Amino acid sequence: MKSIGVDVGGTFTDLIYCDLDTGSLEINKVPTTPDDPSKGVMEGIHGLLAKVGRKPDEIDFVFHATTTATNAVLEHKGAEAGMITNEGFRDILHIGRHQRVEHYSIRQELPWQSRPLIKRRNRMVVGGRLRPPHGEEIEPLDEDAVRRGAQALKEAGVQSVAICFLFSYLNPAHEDRAREIVAEILPDAFVTTSSFVSPQFREFERFTTAALAAFIGPKVRTYITHLEASLKAAGISGDLRIMASNGGVATAGMVSEKPTLTLLSGLAAGVLAGAWLGEIARRRKLITFDIGGTSADIGIIVDGKLAETDSRSTSIAGFPLLSPMIDIHTIGAGGGSIAHIDRGGAFRVGPRSAGAAPGPAAYGRGGAEPTVTDANLVLGRLDAHDFLGGGMKLDVDAARRAVDGLATKLGLGLNETAEGILTVINANMANAIRSRTIQKGIDPRGFSLVAFGGGGPLQGADVAAMLEIPEVIVPPYPGITSAMGLLTTDFKYDAVRTAFEVSGAVDLAKLNRSLGQMEAGLVARFEADRIALDHVKFSRSGDLRYVGQGYELRVPLPEGEIAEANLPQVWEAFHAAHAGEYGHAFPANPIEIVNIRVSGVGLVPKLARPAAPPGGSLAKAKVRTSPCVFRVGGKLQSFETTFYHRRDLPVEEAFPGPAIILQTDSTTLVPPGASAEVDQTGNIIITLGAAQ
Amino acid sequence: MNDRPTLVAESQPVATRVDPVTAAVIHGALENIAIEMGHKLMRMSYSSIIRESEDFGAALTDAEGGQLCECKMSTPLQSGPIPGYIRGVKRRLAARGETIREGDIIMHNDAYAGASHGPDVAFCVPVFLDGQLIGFSVTTAHHLDIGASSPGSAGIVDAVDSYAEGLQFKAIKVYEEGRPNAAVWHLLRDNLRASDLVVGDMEAQIKAAQIGAERFLALVRQYGLDTVMLAYQDLMDYSERLMRNAIRALPDGDYSAETTIDGYLDDPDAKRRDLKIKATLRVRGDEIEVDLTGTSPQVDDRPINLPFEGTVDCAVWLTLRSILLDSAVYGDVPQNGGLTRPIRIVAPKGTLPNPTFPAPVIARFCPGNALADTVMKALANCVPEQVSAGIGNLRCIAFTGLHEGKHWVHMEILEGSYGGRYGMDGMDAVDTLYANTRNNPIEDIESHLPIRVNRYELRDHPPAKGKWRGGIGSVREFTFLSNGAFSVEGEGHKYRPWGFSGGEQGSTSSLLHLRAAGDEAQMPSKVPYHGADATDRLLALGPNGGGYGDPFERDPEAVLNDMLDGYLSTEQARADYGVVIIGKSVDDPATRALRASALR
Repeated sequence: MKSIGVDVGGTFTDLIYCDLDTGSLEINKVPTTPDDPSKGVMEGIHGLLAKVGRKPDEIDFVFHATTTATNAVLEHKGAEAGMITNEGFRDILHIGRHQRVEHYSIRQELPWQSRPLIKRRNRMVVGGRLRPPHGEEIEPLDEDAVRRGAQALKEAGVQSVAICFLFSYLNPAHEDRAREIVAEILPDAFVTTSSFVSPQFREFERFTTAALAAFIGPKVRTYITHLEASLKAAGISGDLRIMASNGGVATAGMVSEKPTLTLLSGLAAGVLAGAWLGEIARRRKLITFDIGGTSADIGIIVDGKLAETDSRSTSIAGFPLLSPMIDIHTIGAGGGSIAHIDRGGAFRVGPRSAGAAPGPAAYGRGGAEPTVTDANLVLGRLDAHDFLGGGMKLDVDAARRAVDGLATKLGLGLNETAEGILTVINANMANAIRSRTIQKGIDPRGFSLVAFGGGGPLQGADVAAMLEIPEVIVPPYPGITSAMGLLTTDFKYDAVRTAFEVSGAVDLAKLNRSLGQMEAGLVARFEADRIALDHVKFSRSGDLRYVGQGYELRVPLPEGEIAEANLPQVWEAFHAAHAGEYGHAFPANPIEIVNIRVSGVGLVPKLARPAAPPGGSLAKAKVRTSPCVFRVGGKLQSFETTFYHRRDLPVEEAFPGPAIILQTDSTTLVPPGASAEVDQTGNIIITLGAAQ
Repeated sequence: MNDRPTLVAESQPVATRVDPVTAAVIHGALENIAIEMGHKLMRMSYSSIIRESEDFGAALTDAEGGQLCECKMSTPLQSGPIPGYIRGVKRRLAARGETIREGDIIMHNDAYAGASHGPDVAFCVPVFLDGQLIGFSVTTAHHLDIGASSPGSAGIVDAVDSYAEGLQFKAIKVYEEGRPNAAVWHLLRDNLRASDLVVGDMEAQIKAAQIGAERFLALVRQYGLDTVMLAYQDLMDYSERLMRNAIRALPDGDYSAETTIDGYLDDPDAKRRDLKIKATLRVRGDEIEVDLTGTSPQVDDRPINLPFEGTVDCAVWLTLRSILLDSAVYGDVPQNGGLTRPIRIVAPKGTLPNPTFPAPVIARFCPGNALADTVMKALANCVPEQVSAGIGNLRCIAFTGLHEGKHWVHMEILEGSYGGRYGMDGMDAVDTLYANTRNNPIEDIESHLPIRVNRYELRDHPPAKGKWRGGIGSVREFTFLSNGAFSVEGEGHKYRPWGFSGGEQGSTSSLLHLRAAGDEAQMPSKVPYHGADATDRLLALGPNGGGYGDPFERDPEAVLNDMLDGYLSTEQARADYGVVIIGKSVDDPATRALRASALR
């Protein structure tokens, strides 16, 4: 089986080819074509096929991470969308949670008011009302009003419609009927309902998720259709699989129906790659650490499981999003982060970034402010002549000038300032990891940090040291790890439903019926997508809370028919999860099952364990030695540091830091006191010293 | 005029006690701790006023109560007063000759010793390093019931003194050296309605404060007490410097404004109605004095007086920083005592903003926000491009009832709206100034309470006219599904939000009780416990904020958009804005002609 992974990023489109039978790998990198990303994708695929000498019709699968949906939201360039909603509730999308974004600001903007996903003029109201607890109808749907609303939207020229009724998560009948009517009147429009997109309570968040789907739906559908056609035209008959934010892949058809699935597509692939790398390196607890030019993305993996966000913590461009999503914590800290003195005289690094243009001062493209990359160069940790495999020359003098300007203002030395920039940015990153580990009752000292992206391998060891993480894993191709992650995915479809069952009075018949219906729904979905069911595994979970609380925690639910006797284990699991997350449980208090979830995972053949690298010797790999500055024992000191070419390093032969390892897509730092070796699968494992 | 205020000494480093790198690392760590405390409190707590409305605070202080950091998610009126709570706790304990010991946890809600008002109960965990008290980890939260004369902790508008407002906790040790004080907990359970929820929330507060204390101690152990405290002093200096720079950029002078609040509109006693709030800001160099002289005398036996420490000071500070160091313009500025050093507040004893014990204060929420609005109005004359026209004030309704012998209590904060701003319209249907809570999802309310929500959208009344129009208030309608009661504390039923620079005044809010029997009653802005039968309805119209600038200068496209979105009719566009709309577009020549003729 032969697969291609394509990850479209802001600047580059990364591609990877793998023959899953022989384990052979090849990579390719082409500029992203923002106007029509499929152009870059096709160019990259042709280049990759040429490299490996394969014909288009030999490719079985194309796995793809796309930013089409994300960019449409971030740039607010979506469809002219319409909405049909309950009479009396026209402005749920506009009022939101009646909370301002900023506490201390008169001149702020509220995204949902200043850039509405669906304008008020396109929000039509109709009679019809349901009520809890089971979605009983207290007023029938006014179908004539739906028709009139759809007609008005047609005249307004909308491309998509979101149908959003209160309590539809309990009973989708009104939304489904309205959808039929709207589809008759607007046959070419993208029509979706809030219960289809995410049947969970909290109307603002659910309606907004549906509005996001309507906003990006037409664009995503067009893009996917266009890409499929281009692949076919190029003779690639293999199936297109799209990376979803939940850490699985979906068919093109599925994504066209539920476009919100792709809003974190690219980030999810990086975490998956980290999980896979950890698995082949036989590590169970991993923190993935992906640093690019402007941001650092952090994910947590325990026993091969990716942490998922709870349903209240996900948002994009200020809009809440109810969609199963891998918990990825992003902070504005990357190689391009700018160090500066702010208005109050404090030393800060980021979140402002020099980005790709002008980029760090060292890029010589007009950037004059000191960045993290400049600091690394000043301290000797980057090779000016061997950056990106020599593809780019760095301007050491420009970097020094930029850092020196700041040093003068601070009254510090050049090296002290450069090292200070790194300390501050590393501390920011360590805080971000803390918020996902220590603050959730997870001790990072038992974890491995998987460092990738252009900047991860350079900062990884220092950040790990701050958190007392004992080792850092640097994958073979740190710069294209996300694309690699695409070849490690499975199909993953989720179903979720709000249940509201309280301990002591659980309606087991209803619970079992709901779970059964949800599983049947997923089975139908897999069958429709022609995925063989013998490769599908289902798992159940619930979002639980103590009665009265407003936030839920995810715990597993038993398989099969749930009986009274199974419930205590569920409650126990919740008490334990609560104690783990918050440091305390309230064992006497009743518990509420808020949502029930079923995940279906359709297994897909994956990237094989990579063959051991050929292996060279330290002597062969050594490029030179030169001085680099490190802070050891609280003092800044210069160390004679060995530079190696990664491709020539020996396998399973440890070498001491300080060392710098060069390769085309990244630079790895092994600090003084640490040691490193290449393992059997081509990872560099950095073991941190006892004293940093 | 400048688009942005320029700051003196921008981007210049200053002498600090701790090297800038260590300082940056410690500041980040402190902020992280406060966020964790708030995050955990919000997620562990039971009542919607904390978990949904986010009416809570979390902060670390030094041993004297100086604030090291506060949680960004918490509402300003909760975290802001924490230093005052600690000072009050220390004062009360000292007066009784008690000392603070390791393992103590202290409960406090004394509005005459730092607390914001009675329902906002603080739990203070003292932090000890090698036997020495080095600071406090504190959480505050608004509790559903505090044992007042009628159920709920909002709308207790008929309390005649501090004793009628509910239980008073004056630095009470609920844990002593690690052991729970069982008697206190029994007392709480026996005297608070909905005590499962309230006590659950209190336990969550304690746990969150303990986590803060642990993290604080770990930080101090890592960097050393001296370094952390010096870095914190640097941080206060930093915030102070920003505030002083911002004040220095203002022209010296006196700026004053006056507004009027409803008080008790249906009260025969004129002393309880139509109360004045006056603020005079004296800008001198890099300092401001805020003088509230001229504000009405305290109301001796109605709880709309404002605790000077805990409400008045916070209202003033928060308004000044929101205008002078607007975070949308300046980014994050650490909230700490440094910010308030250049600001002096004066309020004569015995007036609304500085009452004498035991004058009641529990319903101070709305008058306090009106005070914030008055401070903004005074500053409008000084920095017209940084303010909004008058805000629509908030209201709070407590819904209560009995179910199987147990109380249910639900509090809804009804949003206001902002006035128009320079270059921007007012924000619609949103919390204003010193409060920033969240509404309750309709699907949560109806799933857990005998209440139905019939309507929640922008009200139909056209927004206040202006070059930048005022924000639009909400309309909400509720039905009682079982017999119960409601009580209300609000403002703005009589006095309209102020317009600015030619903009129109906003509109008042109102509350209608539609009884099952068929009759209806307009309610004043303050309603003590008031029975309601099943199928009774409450219709609440929210206020529209004031307009900013001459409506005939409004961008015709903006007028068109308001028309298309249903805020205005074509006729109103023509009459109120001089914009001629034909079909769905602006007739430019006709508009120019109409506007020109209006000038003549």
